[in-house]
Amino acid sequence: MLARTVPLVLLAASAVYLVLALRLPFGSAAKPGAGFYPVLVAVFALAVALAATASAFRGAAEGGAGAEPLEPAARRRVVISVAALAAFCLILPWVGYPAAAFAFVAVVLRYLGAGWTAALVTGVLSAAGSYGLFASLLDVPLPRGPW
Amino acid sequence: MGPLDGLAYGFSIALLPSNLFACFVGVLVGTVVGVLPGIGPVGAMALLLPSTFAMQPATALIMLAGIYYGAMYGGSTTSILVNVPGEAGSVVTLLDGYQMTKKGRAGAALTIAAVGSFVAGTIGVVGIMLASGWLADVAIQFGPPEYFAITLGGILLLSRLSGGSILNAFVMVALGLALGTVGMDSISALRRFTFGSVQLAQGVELVPVIMGVYGVAEVLLLAEEGIAKAQVATVKLRELLPTREEWRRSTMPIARGSVVGFLTGLVPGPAAVLSTFIAYTLEKRVSKTPEKFGTGMVEGVAGPEAANNGATAGAMVPLLSLGIPFSPATAILLGALVVHGLQPGPLMISQRPEVFWGFIASMYIGNVMLLILNLPLVSVFVTVLRLPQHVLATLVLLLCLVGAFSLSNSYLDLWVLVIFGVFGYVLRKLSVDPSPMVVALVLGPMMEKTLRQALFLTRGSVVDLVTRPLSAAIFILAAAALFGPPLIRLARGRRAPEPRPAR
Repeated sequence: MLARTVPLVLLAASAVYLVLALRLPFGSAAKPGAGFYPVLVAVFALAVALAATASAFRGAAEGGAGAEPLEPAARRRVVISVAALAAFCLILPWVGYPAAAFAFVAVVLRYLGAGWTAALVTGVLSAAGSYGLFASLLDVPLPRGPW
Repeated sequence: MGPLDGLAYGFSIALLPSNLFACFVGVLVGTVVGVLPGIGPVGAMALLLPSTFAMQPATALIMLAGIYYGAMYGGSTTSILVNVPGEAGSVVTLLDGYQMTKKGRAGAALTIAAVGSFVAGTIGVVGIMLASGWLADVAIQFGPPEYFAITLGGILLLSRLSGGSILNAFVMVALGLALGTVGMDSISALRRFTFGSVQLAQGVELVPVIMGVYGVAEVLLLAEEGIAKAQVATVKLRELLPTREEWRRSTMPIARGSVVGFLTGLVPGPAAVLSTFIAYTLEKRVSKTPEKFGTGMVEGVAGPEAANNGATAGAMVPLLSLGIPFSPATAILLGALVVHGLQPGPLMISQRPEVFWGFIASMYIGNVMLLILNLPLVSVFVTVLRLPQHVLATLVLLLCLVGAFSLSNSYLDLWVLVIFGVFGYVLRKLSVDPSPMVVALVLGPMMEKTLRQALFLTRGSVVDLVTRPLSAAIFILAAAALFGPPLIRLARGRRAPEPRPAR
């Protein structure tokens, strides 16, 4: 399924990209404008995306086109990890780095198979450690949160 | 400055305590990520890039490059001891390396791999010195049409060589080129494809894309397995010495591998990976007993392990003398220099000798450090493999998040990281190599700028653009490299082994 969805998404994206590129000032070959090169790229993108879609639907895409389906447990671990990454980005501005990092590490570790105690302890240690390293030593202005 | 004066000057820079320390940190991190399967040098370089912003440009380059070539040493350790490639560049090593371990010759294999890497690294540095100077002299005559020809030819070649279908590679190139047009147009200052976002006006940042595609994506693959522990063979120090017979059989493969590696490195493409396949095939072809390969032949370790180090050295040449990166790793090195306002290219060698020669000298020093780290201390690094993988995976994800944010304290970069992490994971599931996209993202803006300048020069004539002597020569070279190998293969009527896509 993935082997067909990806080219379709890219095909749609290149079509949108072409429409947007055509709205930019094209100029002429002797005096190319801001839209000149994007239009060339868009035409190329559309052509290869079309070819890739065609080959995926003909089933002709050789080698690896059929990614083997994951067992449910493995799939769940990947989905949880991605969800945790997205959640981290969402909550970081609101709860600050230490809390977000703690929650992230604890949740991901727990779902990858660690026990609750190990997950919570590693969460605290890594949140504190990385905050100390990046915020204090390297002067990265990590958000502290409301507390 | 001649090569010898330059080198002497370079050592005076590279031996400064701060640079020595940076070199050590670089090769140490490189060895560790090399040993760890699933975490590669490119991801690690991207992670450490923000920490180099406060350094001198030479120091930054020394440290980041140390990670790159250091990983080629570390990668072989895992291949030999665990039968899992620590790095994409060490896939071939496990064919004979692990068989040697099974026969009780693990120590010898490790030593040969490390010495081969050292020899190739050293020969490679000499190669950089000579080739960069020569290429820079040529490149000084290059104008926009030539640079356009190099970037376009490089991208085409890369797509041809990146393994897997060329169509997939072209899709990746198109995506990278399109991403490269997001943001402010460098000539007319018009905002393109920003959808009103102020942050997007700066363009799509390279580093979160790389961290996503090479860092997060690899960890997501690890996450599939959950808790897993590698079975590691133990090596005792006194077993490290190869027999005289093993040394003798390795000498020529190391020499051949070094040269093959360096030459492969010069060509746009996944040089480190590709060079190992070429070296292995070559060793098999010149061997009197090709049927024994895959049963623990020391030649099968020596050749490829020399080649991947030669290739990392060769890859530096286009970066240093033309300012054009042809791989994700050298793209990061370019990024590290550009942050400091340095533009690598034909003028850098004469205008900023401390960066160029300091960097060259540091590679000699780094290779010596790596030889020490990877032989007597190899057991220390092997313990890294016993770290629980799920803890490691989680911590790497956290580091990617902090690293992406620390680039410019932007929440947008975090989202770029996550989106490209998921995308990179999907690509790996489809066995598509993401590196053409990354390289196109870097080269795209260069290509656009040079194309527009070139067309302006030739008053819109494409014919004039491709028939200037130098640009014509570059186009012909690219075409020969692009269509030559398949034609030769066709003529011979057999297929060379296809390189596997980088993991």
